[in-house]
Amino acid sequence: MEKIIDVVNLHKSYGNVKAVKGIDFYVEKSSLFAFLGPNGAGKTTTINILSTLLTKDEGDVEISGIKLGGNEDAIRSSIGIVFQEGVLDPLLSVKENLETRGSFYKLSKQVLEERIKNALEVTGIENLASRRYGSLSGGQKRRTDIARALLHAPKILFLDEPTTGLDPQTRKNVWNTIMHLQKEENMTVFLTTHYMEEADMADYVVIIDNGEIVAKGTPSYLKDQFSKDVLKIKPINQKEFEQYIEKSNLSYEKQIDIYTIKLEHTLDSIKIINEIKDNIESFQVLNGTLDDAFINITGKEIRE
Amino acid sequence: MIINLIKRNLKLYFRDKTSVFFSLLGVFIIIGLYVIFLGDMMIGYITDEVGTYSGPLVTSWIMAGVISVTTITTCNGAFGIMVEDTALKKLRDFKVSPIKRWQLVLSYVISAMIVGTIMSSLTLILSELYIYIEGGSILSFSAMFKVLGLILLSVFSSSAFIFLIMSFIQSQNAFGTASSIIGTLIGFLMGIYIPIGNLPSGVQTMIKIFPLSHSGVLLRKVMINEVVDLEYLPEEFKILLGISYKVNGEFLSNMIHIAYLLVSGVVFYLLAIIVVSRKRSK
Repeated sequence: MEKIIDVVNLHKSYGNVKAVKGIDFYVEKSSLFAFLGPNGAGKTTTINILSTLLTKDEGDVEISGIKLGGNEDAIRSSIGIVFQEGVLDPLLSVKENLETRGSFYKLSKQVLEERIKNALEVTGIENLASRRYGSLSGGQKRRTDIARALLHAPKILFLDEPTTGLDPQTRKNVWNTIMHLQKEENMTVFLTTHYMEEADMADYVVIIDNGEIVAKGTPSYLKDQFSKDVLKIKPINQKEFEQYIEKSNLSYEKQIDIYTIKLEHTLDSIKIINEIKDNIESFQVLNGTLDDAFINITGKEIRE
Repeated sequence: MIINLIKRNLKLYFRDKTSVFFSLLGVFIIIGLYVIFLGDMMIGYITDEVGTYSGPLVTSWIMAGVISVTTITTCNGAFGIMVEDTALKKLRDFKVSPIKRWQLVLSYVISAMIVGTIMSSLTLILSELYIYIEGGSILSFSAMFKVLGLILLSVFSSSAFIFLIMSFIQSQNAFGTASSIIGTLIGFLMGIYIPIGNLPSGVQTMIKIFPLSHSGVLLRKVMINEVVDLEYLPEEFKILLGISYKVNGEFLSNMIHIAYLLVSGVVFYLLAIIVVSRKRSK
């Protein structure tokens, strides 16, 4: 295992507001790393510090072996960033945009030409090369943003909520592009997201709230640790069922005719089902989701 | 790297047809005003002084003013790209790239100069065409050469002045407001809407202090000299139309006009650079 990003005791304040209050984490090389948190938790501040946009107040950050705060240009050459809002020029074509931004990296004409071709290919937008950026759809724009971030063949790709505001189909396409980069091109992907489905596919998740890390681990660890499995039952006779539940001291939530019971252990469901099987019209046992874990950890819904 | 940025800025300016139109709006207003009524008024006003020359003289006088205004308003339009990059947070992409801040800023300045030069040369061609159609004569080769030189000088000074103003501006709203104010005021500040001699002496002094008005003076000298030898024009007449500035009882020489434009340009650039680099350290 190799740490490609290492953050120790990172602090950042804006005046009196402490945005990041001493966080520690690291990112493994070639992994998909998700930074999860409600709005205003400090996600964007952290990503902006890591990507050299903001200066830190305190703490040590090392990115692909280079310390932050000295040779920023070396770091800049090894990272690619996809911003929440597009930063390309609407009046230029996709290719013109890539040529302009690619010229910042002191590449020879041939190499740049090749990189552009490659970036267009990886993101699947070859056929859009001559279209103006401003005329593209949301998903096409986002993929162009990603292509721009790939021009200098960075080791790490930062994405700040890359799929926010896209429709589900487009979101999936963009997500597949990101997964492809990580799996096939061995790129380290660092992303912040609002979507649990996406965090669920990450190798490692860090949950940040109020500028502090409140939990970290693999998605399955977080789910095991912070969420409970549930049993959903649709009884034949509701009154009888409620009596049983009260008698056995279980807590439940009722939605129309379906009762949701929180389980300590998945296997507890067998006992319950056995005891009232004559009164069950249908049932299902569900694993805890990352959503539940998140709510349990932060006490908030993610999309506030 | 800078060349690619300049190319980008130029494409962004010329492809935005509305911003090109609006950066010429001040010019259209001036021409419109003169075609509709100011022109005839002025011709009637000066016929006593210069007789048959009055028509072509007034046309040349206006066109000299129009060209000098073009250098300012088009530079202003070109600097809109700098404001937009800041306002729309596009700057972040440049900040996380291994380019230097000064390279980016230099690209805005050079693009503005190129835009100013192209657009005012275009205005020069169009005004010559207009003068020709009106039955006037086209500038001689040497005068044309001088005018082109003056356009370059004027663009240098204008870009410096506009750069300084734009360095304070952070939002597109502010840019729009500043542009309209500049577009409206410039006609007065250059002594075009109303000939400088008809204004109260306080305003006259203000105009004389305003560096860019000196490029108007120089352009008028060259272009009007083609119609009628300046030697033969009465002094009061030259003062009235702003063909020469009299300061402390003496006419300013061409050299002083040029030096004033150059020095003020350099000062504006230095001030703008201070403002821009202060902003970065936040």
